[in-house]
Amino acid sequence: MNTRLIKDKIATGILWASMALVCFILAGIILFLVSKGWSAISWSFLTEPPRNQMTEGGIFTPLVGTLQLIVVSMAFAFPVGVFTAVYLVEYAKDDIFTRLLRLAVRSLAGVPSVVYGLFGLSFFVIFLKIGASLLSAGLTLGCLALPVIVGASESALMAVPQDYRDASYAMGATRWQTIRKVVLPAAFPSIITGAILSVGRVAGETAPIIFTGAAFFAPNIAKSLFDQVMALPYHILVLATAGTNIDKTRPIQYGTTLVLLALVLGITLIGVIWRAHLRGRNQSLK
Amino acid sequence: MDRKDKIIVENLNLFYGETQALKNIALTVPEKAVTALIGPSGCGKSTFLRCINRMNDFIASCRITGKILIDENDIYSPETDPIELRRKVGMVFQRPNPFPMSIYDNVAYGPRLHGVKDKGKLDEIVEKSLKGSALWDEVKDKLHKPATALSGGQQQRLCIARAIAVEPEVILMDEPTSALDPMATARVEELVRMLSSSYTVVIVTHNMQQAARVSDITVFFLMGEMIEYGPTQQIFTSPKDRRTEDYITGRFG
Amino acid sequence: MGNTLRGDKAPQRIIQTISIIGVAIMLFILFFLVKESIPILKEVSIFQLLFGMEWYPTYDPPDYGMFPLIVGSLSVTLAASILAVPLSIMLAVFISEICPRKLKELLKPVIEILGFFPSVVLGFIGMVVLAPWMIQHLEAYSGLNLLNAAFLMGIMIIPTVTSLAEDSLASIPKDLRDASYALGATRLETITKVVLPAALPGILQAVLLGVMRAIGETMVVLMAAGGAAIIPLSLTDPVRPLTSTIASEMGETPVGSIHYHALFFAGLLLLLLTLGLNLLAMFIERRARRLRA
Repeated sequence: MNTRLIKDKIATGILWASMALVCFILAGIILFLVSKGWSAISWSFLTEPPRNQMTEGGIFTPLVGTLQLIVVSMAFAFPVGVFTAVYLVEYAKDDIFTRLLRLAVRSLAGVPSVVYGLFGLSFFVIFLKIGASLLSAGLTLGCLALPVIVGASESALMAVPQDYRDASYAMGATRWQTIRKVVLPAAFPSIITGAILSVGRVAGETAPIIFTGAAFFAPNIAKSLFDQVMALPYHILVLATAGTNIDKTRPIQYGTTLVLLALVLGITLIGVIWRAHLRGRNQSLK
Repeated sequence: MDRKDKIIVENLNLFYGETQALKNIALTVPEKAVTALIGPSGCGKSTFLRCINRMNDFIASCRITGKILIDENDIYSPETDPIELRRKVGMVFQRPNPFPMSIYDNVAYGPRLHGVKDKGKLDEIVEKSLKGSALWDEVKDKLHKPATALSGGQQQRLCIARAIAVEPEVILMDEPTSALDPMATARVEELVRMLSSSYTVVIVTHNMQQAARVSDITVFFLMGEMIEYGPTQQIFTSPKDRRTEDYITGRFG
Repeated sequence: MGNTLRGDKAPQRIIQTISIIGVAIMLFILFFLVKESIPILKEVSIFQLLFGMEWYPTYDPPDYGMFPLIVGSLSVTLAASILAVPLSIMLAVFISEICPRKLKELLKPVIEILGFFPSVVLGFIGMVVLAPWMIQHLEAYSGLNLLNAAFLMGIMIIPTVTSLAEDSLASIPKDLRDASYALGATRLETITKVVLPAALPGILQAVLLGVMRAIGETMVVLMAAGGAAIIPLSLTDPVRPLTSTIASEMGETPVGSIHYHALFFAGLLLLLLTLGLNLLAMFIERRARRLRA
């Protein structure tokens, strides 16, 4: 065998190894957390609030808080994101506003999460006088999710065949009727999967909520938009770095981390699998 | 043939940016007859077809001069609402393009757009349109199944049903059989003949036998110009222009 | 050509108005960060802020020198990039050029899911796994240090860099590869001499966006970098990047204090750094597109 072929074989081996290494890291982290956190998880762990200065009890309050944050952030980011994408795909001309909008969405996608936190603090909490609350934190997370939803919805809308639009226009439909009755329904499943993926992102974020509404400890779940909330990611940070008895609460920390990871990866997995299913279906249509 | 002229085209020019795609087209389309547009690909026949219901409006760089009159109204005058126009001028596309909805909803799409809400009325329109496109017997038991489950030929007849559901006066067909097999093509051609008793049909085709079989009038396009216009019989048996003859006898295109 | 569709203007206006929100948020972010940063510039010179060596915001008198924080951010980012970028590019090449199709359908979502790992989870792993290991095996003074954070941050950016680089490789037409094979090249030669050079702008863009992500990453460095505002001299020194400084101090400083404004200035620095990288990536993308056309 000549040296060129040997080199080729070696390089191929190294590339396989790189894949194996990344999979190993990923699997290692998941298996480690499952093995350490599994024993802490029980029905009561999920349904009881933290007790005794968070050294005992469960994670009901932060779990519900995280779900509330998801709802608030999506209530803002989903409609705004989808309509922005509709504008970009269906209406936008190549003018200054469109270019500015594209630039803004791209830039928003790169803004560090802690900067979103600073923005949320100065804008929602202080300037709009909402205070540190579920609403402020949710809206801050919504801003962070916005570019993700716009991006996903844009690709979903662009994947709708031009034929559908032509057929609708040829029947005398207006642009808006075409969008509402044909384009959006056809794109909707893909838009939803994009939104699911952005929920996965929102659920795991910590930095944007630290100063905008996440509570170190709250005895109850938030009853109004203006209450502070506990959230799973922040709860992990607190237990691991600022708890009253860090070593004693290790099992709770592992349990909480595992629940957060399962929540985020579960949501993401649903999004990814559903999207693959949709793509498969679209392929078979062609 | 002394049918009334439904569409009159005068000095029509069309530009994409700098390029001129249609040059000085002038012709008349008779009412309740089939007019076929033939010519090699890229000759402008589809572009011309899309001028008749203003589908070219969506192309930003597209500019049109001249006139198209339907029932003596200039469709490019500022008073014409393209929405209103497209209700009167239906279109069937090259590839069958049913919406991803049920068969029923596809046909009911247009009437609903234009404000028909009554269920009984819609049922009636759907049945009438599907009968009109000779599809009713095949789909009457599965109206609420997805339209995409139909065969290609059935889908195309569904698209025709969808077009006639808004009761247009003119139906434009852009190579409606190019994606279909011979059997399905024959059924659609039969349907086109049938439609011509109540509608003005303009059909673009690259298939000369098809033009000969279905049309009353044939128009020959070449490189953006209209070369010849006349009764189909005459165009195919004794063309006046040398280029028409060359095309029809298969010397190019 | 004018669109004269009647009765269709209102929805368009409403949708356009909604889409202004995206632009507004970006402008507001810039505006509020600048607005909240200005007061510190009245107290401390910009030179002192950027190059001062001492960060003691709670002392009396306080010091607001951010140089160690900036170096902290850059050093963790650099170390993470050195660890993760080559691996990510190799992985991208593997997925695009070598991977059997079945495995590819599995691997791509797995990489994507890795990108959704909450950073707080990785930070936690850094505290409970990497830190004790480092004390034991590297004789580190503290397990929470630059290297620890760089490992974790590397894991965070692998998905970003891999998937963008893979997109770029996948967009190279098959003809190019076939032409190379037809001349008797091996797969390695085709990859290194034809595919990688052709995909270079896209890969560069992937790396820039990975670096952008790393600079802005907060939780990993907050939990695993150790938090000492010093210039690191070895990989096992603790560091305090800009992001973790903001996250850990903002909660304990009164709104409107000089310290508060100093933290906003740190945020503004981060914003400008990441925006700059983002714009650079967009610029490369646009140039590459123009060259192809």
